[in-house]
Amino acid sequence: MKEAKANLHPNAVVLALFSSGDLPWRDQWRVKRHVNHCEQCEQTAAEFRAAKTELKREAQTETLTAFEAIADWAVLEREMLGNIAVGVSAARCIEKVRRGRSFLIKGAVFAALTTLFVAGWITHVPKEQTDHLAASLRQIIGLERPQAAGTQLRTTPDGIAVRAQGATLTIMHPPSAVISVSGPSAMSARYVDEETGQVTITKVYAQ
Amino acid sequence: MVFAVLLLPALHAQTQNEGQPWIDVEFPRDSPVLAVSTTFGPSNVRPRGASMSLDLHASLLLRNTGSKTLSGLTLRVEAQDVTPSGKASVTVPSLSVQPGEVFPVRIDAQLVRPFSIGRGEGALVQVSLDCALFSDLTAYGPDKLNSRRALMVYELEARRDRRYLAALLQTQNWARVREELDFGLQDLHPQQVGLELLRDPRENAWHEQPVNVGAVAFRNAPVQAMSGAARVAGNEVRAPAIEVKNTSQKTVRNIDMGWIVRDERGREFVAGSMPASLQLGPVQTGIMTEQGTLRFSHPTGQPMMIGALMAFVNDVEFADGKLWIPSRVDIDEATSDPLLRRALTTSPEQQRLAEIYRRKGIAGLQEELRKLN
Repeated sequence: MKEAKANLHPNAVVLALFSSGDLPWRDQWRVKRHVNHCEQCEQTAAEFRAAKTELKREAQTETLTAFEAIADWAVLEREMLGNIAVGVSAARCIEKVRRGRSFLIKGAVFAALTTLFVAGWITHVPKEQTDHLAASLRQIIGLERPQAAGTQLRTTPDGIAVRAQGATLTIMHPPSAVISVSGPSAMSARYVDEETGQVTITKVYAQ
Repeated sequence: MVFAVLLLPALHAQTQNEGQPWIDVEFPRDSPVLAVSTTFGPSNVRPRGASMSLDLHASLLLRNTGSKTLSGLTLRVEAQDVTPSGKASVTVPSLSVQPGEVFPVRIDAQLVRPFSIGRGEGALVQVSLDCALFSDLTAYGPDKLNSRRALMVYELEARRDRRYLAALLQTQNWARVREELDFGLQDLHPQQVGLELLRDPRENAWHEQPVNVGAVAFRNAPVQAMSGAARVAGNEVRAPAIEVKNTSQKTVRNIDMGWIVRDERGREFVAGSMPASLQLGPVQTGIMTEQGTLRFSHPTGQPMMIGALMAFVNDVEFADGKLWIPSRVDIDEATSDPLLRRALTTSPEQQRLAEIYRRKGIAGLQEELRKLN
């Protein structure tokens, strides 16, 4: 009999709906009558029920796991506090790195400006003024006694210079010149002028 | 930005100095020497920090408009606006410029002036005649820098050295000529020193050591150095003083005392001279002192330690205006040290003749001496 009614088997969808009890009651009754007498459809319906049960069980398991975590507020609180602490620490680390980078950049800019200033000073400010500034600084910090303002005489590689009131007058001479003191307030340089062949004596006086 | 700040005063300076002449050459109308022309080398004005720097390379062409042969000349160089208490001079001794002839004098100067110093209306550098000496030892000029005496000493030394070398050439004493003028090629350039003259030195008396000043005596000198002392602190010589005695029968009014310094390596060089107005009658003694401090350094800037000090009478001016300088015999007898003897005999004329000898040889030297003697 079961063989005879094979062509009247409900399809898989109807069987699936039957197995889950989702058919209308009339169809449910009719299919039930068929399944009770059809071994094949009964087996298919059983498979559907088993699969549904499995799905329910799996879904229930997952839901229960998440729910269990949520349900344990103490654990959740600790986890959240831990996450917050990690986040705050990470932010601090990033801030430190940023601060370090900022300090390095500022330092590099400062060093570059300092280098530029020093280079400008060396190339533009006369040595006499630098010496004067250094002497003033030494006097300010007490390493040196203040020197009475007056006229100073000194030789340089290029000439003899007299300095007074921040200004300098230098009479130039070649490197071969013979330098000597000439009296209590004068220095002289003697050389043979290459162009004229004349002996030339330059003197600089501080009076 | 820094450069911009540094350059700002420069732009101002360029504007400020526009129209202000660099150099003004002035000679009295009755001067026996007059300027013919002034030419400039690579002179320029540029900013140096908070200052203006003027590099002045000028060549003056002067003419002897007098009737006497010109033997020497001193030009006064001033920058009154900038260094009113500092002056300079350019002296050209050993000349033999005939009336009507022209000759060049070069002036190479650098002027550094802070922008804060106000400027006057005149030229930055003023050049004027201080003294002109003629072959008869008469002089012309205001002589504000006491140049007449220096020019006379140079001229007397020049005549002495020309006679001496001419005699060596006449006797064909070539070895001595070479020794006098060449003296070993390695010694062509005398030892270079850095000097600083301090009028108000910093006191650090605890480093000072008193030293005796030795005397290099010239047998025929009218004034003899008796004894001397100075205080030495490292590379500084302070307050040198020396007692002198007039051994002549004439009254002396000026003495120029030369100073020889021996450095830490035993090398001796003439550091300079200290002229002093000292009225000394016959057999009288007096003390020459200098209150300033002289600081020595090597050309590299390192301090040069002072080992010893010696003094010698460089020249003496009598009350009648006549001058005494040591003769060659005096110098030869005074020391057996060839280096010291060379230092004592190296006059401007000796330096000029040595240059001629190096460039033109014996023939050139003979020609020059023939022309001048």
